[in-house]
Amino acid sequence: MPINRRRFLKLASSYVIGSAIAERLLATHALADSVTLPFENGERELIAYPQKRALMRLTSRPPQLETPFCIFNESVITPNDAFFVRYHLSGIPTEIDPANYRINIHGLVSTPLSLSLADLKQIADPVDLIAVNQCSGNSRGFFSPRVPGGQLGNGAMGNARWTGIPLNKILKKAGLLKGAKQVSFKGLDTAPLAATPAFIKALDIDHALDGEVMIAFAMNGEDIPMLNGFPVKLIVPGYYGTYWIKHLTDIEVIDHTFDGFWMKTAYRIPDNPEHAVAPGQVPAKTIPINRMNVRSFITSLSEGSILTANRETILKGIAFDGGEGIKTVLVSTDAGKSWKDAFLDKDHGRYSFREWKLAFTPPSAGQYTLLVRAVNKVGATQPSTPLWNPPGYMRNVTESLHIRAV
Amino acid sequence: MRYINLIFLFSLASAISHAELATNVLATTVKISLPPETLFLKESNVVGYSLASASCITCHSAEYIRTQPKLTRTTWKAEVTKMKKVFGAPIPDGSIDPLVDYLVLTYGVK
Repeated sequence: MPINRRRFLKLASSYVIGSAIAERLLATHALADSVTLPFENGERELIAYPQKRALMRLTSRPPQLETPFCIFNESVITPNDAFFVRYHLSGIPTEIDPANYRINIHGLVSTPLSLSLADLKQIADPVDLIAVNQCSGNSRGFFSPRVPGGQLGNGAMGNARWTGIPLNKILKKAGLLKGAKQVSFKGLDTAPLAATPAFIKALDIDHALDGEVMIAFAMNGEDIPMLNGFPVKLIVPGYYGTYWIKHLTDIEVIDHTFDGFWMKTAYRIPDNPEHAVAPGQVPAKTIPINRMNVRSFITSLSEGSILTANRETILKGIAFDGGEGIKTVLVSTDAGKSWKDAFLDKDHGRYSFREWKLAFTPPSAGQYTLLVRAVNKVGATQPSTPLWNPPGYMRNVTESLHIRAV
Repeated sequence: MRYINLIFLFSLASAISHAELATNVLATTVKISLPPETLFLKESNVVGYSLASASCITCHSAEYIRTQPKLTRTTWKAEVTKMKKVFGAPIPDGSIDPLVDYLVLTYGVK
């Protein structure tokens, strides 16, 4: 396990011998490096939070941290200390004793449960699943016209191996009663004002029972970082991160469609096949955001990269969708005039990032526009011009990079 | 000397982290402390500045406002109204317009 700065500081400060070094690092830390995302007011501090390496800080209270995009070129799995952080309410837990932690299951069940973590692990054999968690508003900063909300670049996503107990096994143990329509989920995070709606999300009962939705207690083989939901997090494969409740403590089986603010009013998308409206328009009808659409990125180069003419380079990137699985990744190096099938790397399952590669030799010096577009196994793909909706969700335009060969 | 200390600390840290991984998964209390806030609302002489400092910053840090694109008066007013009506921000009706004035002046389309 690589030592991160936080762990180093924690350890260093425990020993007199290390205090000078710790102070020096803290002083560096206070200078706060920053990066600027390519949109108005895009400057972000790079700052290391507990159990995290330096990430791009969107907001400090509650913390919202974005993964620097270069991380996605390093491995198909996003390291825990680089995984993005998104909270809604600023009363977040900063100290949790797992020995006293309980998950309550109640509502339309024959046996309400109050599970310790040990109880949870005894319900069934744990399962492993590699799945992408992507914020609904990932890439919102690129919307044009701009929309209010968290102004994210492309780094509010990550791919991890989740280990947990399937929710259907837990609900079966509690015994579902007739009339169960949805299951609602709440974690430990709260708002400072009592009047603020609690952050509660809900899934239809059939979805909750699909055997894939799970309560995870490990992320990439380790405890889930506090800021990602320690000690347990709801995993909803293929669905946007808004449903992946952190510090999950309360599960209620209900006989109606949950009508709290975070389902009924927030996180809604236009009720049409593209989940989009003309820029500036208000959708006539909306539905709760749900499954992720298809996306792909080039990760090995960035905007303005410089290559050598007549020398082969391997273009590399990732593609993913909401769980159909990626069938093809198409890459253009001539601004869309022609497209080539990229080589798809190892398949880690239909919810995972799929890495792709393609050899490219710039035939001469000059400017190149690279495009990447994925197609999933049911033929869904990415639009060539961006789709728009008022909350700035589900951006999945064909990505482009402008590079130069010299 | 400092270099040697560094190596010593790194190997110590590495040994401890492996031991933790093996034995303490989910067994010990996890406690974190969050880095301080460093960005605040831009100061202004308009009355809305103190209203914003009192009303908005109770629940969220200033970056929630500062990182927005330049929004129109209509959009800022919709945001403030949402904070009051949906999130329960204690903003008296008479304070909404001065608060929006400050937001538009400081973070809005002029």
